[in-house]
Amino acid sequence: MIQLLVFLTATASADPAGIAFFEQKIRPVLVEHCYACHSASAKKLKGNLYLDSKAGWEKGGDHGEPAILPGDPENSLLIRTIRHSEPDLEMPPKKPKLPDAVIADLVTWVKMGAPDPRDGAVIEAKRADKSWWSLQPLNQDFAHGTIDGFVEAKLAEQKLALNPPADPRALMRRITYDLTGLPPSLTEVEAFVAACQADRNAAIEALVDRLLASPRYGERWGRHWLDVVRFGESNGFERNFIIDDLWPFRDYVIRSFNEDKPFDQFIIEHLAGDVIGKDRPETEVGSAFLVAGPYDDVGNQDVVAQKNIRAATLDDMITATSGAFLGLTINCARCHHHKFDPIPTEDYYRIRAVFEGVTHGRRVVASKEQRHAHEAATRPLREQIAKLTAERDALNGTIEARAKEALAERTFPRPKIDPQGTEDRFQTVRAKQVRFVIQATTDLRGGGRLTEFEAWSGGRNVALAANGAKADGAKGAVAEDFPDAYGPQFCIDGQPGEQWFIGSPAILTITFAQEEAIDRIVFRNAKGKDVQDKSQGATPCEYEIQVSSDGKTWKTVASGEDREPWSPAHGIQRVRRAVTENEESAKLAEVDKRIAALQSQLNQVPALPMVWAGNYAQPKEPTYVHKGGDPMKPQDAVIPASLSVLDQVTQPYTLPAQAPEGERRLALARWIASSDNPLTARVLVNRVWQYHFGTGIVDTPSDFGFLGGKPTHPELLDFLAGRLIANGWKLKALHREILLSRTYLQSAAYREDGAKLDKDARLLWRFPPRRLSAEEIRDTLLTVGGKLTLEPMGGRGFRLYKFTQNNVSTYFPLDVHGPETYRRAVYHQNARASVVDILNDFDLPDIAFAAPKRANTTTPLQALTMMNHSFTTDMATALAARLETPDPVGSAYRLAFQREASDNEREVGGRLIAEHGTRAFCRALLNANELIYLD
Amino acid sequence: MTANPIDLARREFLARMNTGMTGVALSRLLAGELTAAPAREPHFAPKAKQVLQIFCPGAASHVDLWDHKPLLEKYHGTPLPGGQTEVTFQGKNGNLMKSPWPFAPAGKSGKMISTMLPHMAGHVDDIAFVHSMTSRTNTHGPGCVNMNSCFTRDGFPSAGSWISYGLGTLNENLPTYVAVQDLRGEPPNGKANWSNGFLPARFQGITMSAQQQLRNLSRPSGISEREELATRDFLNFIDEEHARRHPGNDELRARMAAYELAARMQMTAPEVSDLSREPGTIHEFYGTNDANKLKAAYARNCLLARRLLEQGVRFVSLYCASRASAVDGLLNWDAHKTLKADYERHCPIFDQPTAALLTDLKQRGMLNDVLVIWCTEFGRMPTHQDGTSGRDHNPDAFTTWMMGAGVKGGVSHGATDDFGRRSAVDIATVYDFHATVLHLLGLDHEKLTYYHNGANRRLTDVHGHVLQSILA
Repeated sequence: MIQLLVFLTATASADPAGIAFFEQKIRPVLVEHCYACHSASAKKLKGNLYLDSKAGWEKGGDHGEPAILPGDPENSLLIRTIRHSEPDLEMPPKKPKLPDAVIADLVTWVKMGAPDPRDGAVIEAKRADKSWWSLQPLNQDFAHGTIDGFVEAKLAEQKLALNPPADPRALMRRITYDLTGLPPSLTEVEAFVAACQADRNAAIEALVDRLLASPRYGERWGRHWLDVVRFGESNGFERNFIIDDLWPFRDYVIRSFNEDKPFDQFIIEHLAGDVIGKDRPETEVGSAFLVAGPYDDVGNQDVVAQKNIRAATLDDMITATSGAFLGLTINCARCHHHKFDPIPTEDYYRIRAVFEGVTHGRRVVASKEQRHAHEAATRPLREQIAKLTAERDALNGTIEARAKEALAERTFPRPKIDPQGTEDRFQTVRAKQVRFVIQATTDLRGGGRLTEFEAWSGGRNVALAANGAKADGAKGAVAEDFPDAYGPQFCIDGQPGEQWFIGSPAILTITFAQEEAIDRIVFRNAKGKDVQDKSQGATPCEYEIQVSSDGKTWKTVASGEDREPWSPAHGIQRVRRAVTENEESAKLAEVDKRIAALQSQLNQVPALPMVWAGNYAQPKEPTYVHKGGDPMKPQDAVIPASLSVLDQVTQPYTLPAQAPEGERRLALARWIASSDNPLTARVLVNRVWQYHFGTGIVDTPSDFGFLGGKPTHPELLDFLAGRLIANGWKLKALHREILLSRTYLQSAAYREDGAKLDKDARLLWRFPPRRLSAEEIRDTLLTVGGKLTLEPMGGRGFRLYKFTQNNVSTYFPLDVHGPETYRRAVYHQNARASVVDILNDFDLPDIAFAAPKRANTTTPLQALTMMNHSFTTDMATALAARLETPDPVGSAYRLAFQREASDNEREVGGRLIAEHGTRAFCRALLNANELIYLD
Repeated sequence: MTANPIDLARREFLARMNTGMTGVALSRLLAGELTAAPAREPHFAPKAKQVLQIFCPGAASHVDLWDHKPLLEKYHGTPLPGGQTEVTFQGKNGNLMKSPWPFAPAGKSGKMISTMLPHMAGHVDDIAFVHSMTSRTNTHGPGCVNMNSCFTRDGFPSAGSWISYGLGTLNENLPTYVAVQDLRGEPPNGKANWSNGFLPARFQGITMSAQQQLRNLSRPSGISEREELATRDFLNFIDEEHARRHPGNDELRARMAAYELAARMQMTAPEVSDLSREPGTIHEFYGTNDANKLKAAYARNCLLARRLLEQGVRFVSLYCASRASAVDGLLNWDAHKTLKADYERHCPIFDQPTAALLTDLKQRGMLNDVLVIWCTEFGRMPTHQDGTSGRDHNPDAFTTWMMGAGVKGGVSHGATDDFGRRSAVDIATVYDFHATVLHLLGLDHEKLTYYHNGANRRLTDVHGHVLQSILA
């Protein structure tokens, strides 16, 4: 914990009488009534006000004025509050007023000039104010001109120095993984080692330039960024449905990194790509950032819940924006002023005002040319279809008019079916089986359900499962994790409630325990007595009851033909056939055929690309501050504006309350991405540093506030930020500068002196060794097995789970990863709350939140997965197939570790191969530390 | 590197151990802190060492199971005073609806409990009911996650993860925190319920159940035991060579130890989940062979839960029912339309096996160490849902309970109003509930913290008071 210590020196010495008055009358009152909330010993400091020192009340608290104005009790905040004269300004809070005599003493004391001997005290700031380091303008004046200068100076303070240069082989692996996330090939390593012998610096520069130009660079560094912006491809929460059209954003990120797009532009595209990039899909897609987070989409009828859900949805956008670009935890100011940073709650709602018009969803993201071409290709077809449809409707109209007349003349002797129970009686018949052939249900479009079906033999329902009967029938819905759901067995369980979802063919077949003499059946579709609502679904209303003794020949014993139709529409449907002329039928068939043909042509025109890029609408209402974060307690309205936390260093702006939606986002984006905003550049270069060295100069990459870490090298941070801006916000130049530093190129060797003083090498006395990330591990296994498919890049993601949806979604991890998954892991469709093998074992985060820094854990479960999942065995088999026969051990080491095996390794490995074959040997190599740790 | 205390402790430990010990001996020592964390000292003397959580997802109705409301019977069919225009989760509500089943007094305490739970009635004298629970959401998924993590949003660590983080493991050969899923599938919001959130991955809940063993536990088919051993020996050889070339990198040794631990887990986990080691009388007692497949499956999971606790698993989450389906109340306790039919399906699945598990724990003396908590995400309305004979969601009132280590039996904390519409007396929150759980485990809920994205996070957020009235 970092604490700001402010030492205050002794100041004026007051008169002894005044001090005596303070000690007798005032100090005891302050201790008893105020210190609990307003002192260094307070459990929770309230209002940022200290009353345990003179300096404390002189400085004042959140009100921003001194708590006491010596000589002026009427205007002293302290006196005003203890008098309880103003609402919401009553101290001590929720307690009776102090006795009048005590108040009079305090007034007297203030009149005396508030003599207070408590000076020279130490105030321990428990929070940051606007003098906080990260809120200051970028330093421009440096003691050093290179990265190494800053690093070596810090090391020298500890009497440490950089390690010697790393050996070329280790360096090759380090740089290649760092920039591409993949291992180098042995040939590449050897060429590099040779080139280093000729000219080390030139060889390294050439390597760095080659890798920065490789498309693999964007795949690796784009993945980092996706962590930062909490990119996930399902909506989370209860339904957690999968999102299949957010991948264009992932490809956009990769492409932007590969193109070395200036990062200020990249930020603006994230917040307002649709505003600046109309008809330019490659720009427009950037604003999918706003809707790449989780949100609750459950259909909630409760108004309070709806408002809370909307508030949480916007909170995700606010949190993501402030964390990713500014390294500020503005989200902590949702319910109150930020507890630790100088962020008033209004700042939170200012950003909310910016996003107020954003909703989750998909829309067409296409260029003007694409839209025109699509319109040109589809319009003639749609027009023809419309014309034919009108023709068909007209014909249907005449037929239906006749049908209506015919229906009026027809009589139906029996009442319509009753979902609560419909009975059909017939002459007693002996049967082994009865079947319910459903020709129509109360939903004329099809589909329906049934809760019970009974067949009676005297007083006994012989169709009951309890009486040995069995039910068969196709199901219209499936729950993969619960196979019994929706099955026909529910029709004969004697219970209302659960239903058979009628499938196709719509036939329920009941087989009795033995041949029975039956004379009536009853069917019901009711989830309870007298319960009728839409959710129970449609009920069969047109049917035949058939019986059989051998399951081959069926005899119809009853039907719903003579029942009153369920509805006028149903009645028309029933008589329609009889009143339709042959030529009308032919005409209808022909029109249908032509429409179908046109429709199929229409379907062949590629649809305009849809992207989960959000929808934008002008907010209907102003944005209010919510008291305590409760949307039911709106307070003052706020307008879209820059954040006051940075108003002393950036150019502030305010927009009118009715500012157009897109303008709000663009203004915020430009303000964030401006070069006078010191946080944006600092936060970004720190991320780049972190991904190169494992830990950032600030080790809390999305929190540059009071609770975050303090920079180990504050000057270096500003130096790099300045370089970034000078380079036009391009990252590749920054990478180059870092990678070519001696700091980066030093060896990772362990040294006692360094480890003793700085175990984690935050000062960089060595290059910090690291384990590969989850994606690198999977990509490495595929590479070593010779199975990784690099092209085509991008497109729809692959899945390491089976996705099922039955009201809500369930993600089942796959036991076998087929060849379609042999792509780089960045292309995995990362759904929220899905846990997949290898990736999640090795700390791929669940993207409920941004993951600006990955965890790095070692668990036995990783070992279980790597030893036992079939993916490892598959890759071991694949690697085994690549080994050369005279020297399998040697070739395996070259492929896996890009080095020669030692004699000892050859011998021991050879013995394993001799006894158990090459696969066993390869399986061990794929589990080895050497494969996944870098120097 | 994050400066979390466990990692620091581990690093210090490793630094001390770096000299003079290699290979297997060192790995053995390391192994203990890998599964979750080394056993850690609580903040003060604990009453309980382990937790059994029984979770009935779908919002199990308080007024039909645990919270007897005589006035609901008296005013059945009349409007809820002041509630005529209320719109809740699925829409409008009808009149007050009494429970389809009578309540009856049970035990010495005479606690009124639904006659649908005849076996559970036998335990009321050991149970402390919390009748005045409230939730912050009326939606199942966020509600379940809230009951587990005190936040409605995914991404926060569940109580089981916090407790694993706070107390560490009791048996390094098994996961510290096990989530036992129902045969019918995952609860609402699925895996988020046992997520480690932002805590390191080793604090996550691991799923295993009688129907589904621990994932990737068995060695691949076609690989003999001899081959497996030879492969591991060779792996150990290359890792040893590599570690020798890389002094000062603790992680390498730690990963080698993790492989040993995994091998031991491969031995231990199947033993623990081998229910055939239990006598027939026990099987019968739990109902593992019941004709009702769902009941039998849940009973087997109850038995597994006991065996896991016996082996020192710190936190076992046992689910009875699962998620929402196309039919309300089919797969879980979400009885929107047909309360009677739904609960006549769910109660028999739950009642006997749960009661048997509690009796078994008690008879074995395990309740001296095990705290049992029963949870659901929120309650149900005292009225029927418009046009149905079921009840809509009610986040303003529900019942949870605790029993076992450190808990007073036969008591009730708080109460709902006359009809069970809202919690009214000594209102309790999910924060209070978990503050109490942590307290019983010897942890101060305000001190168990972890830094994440700008805040020192707690299980209980910035709330929570220990429910003193139910402490023994």
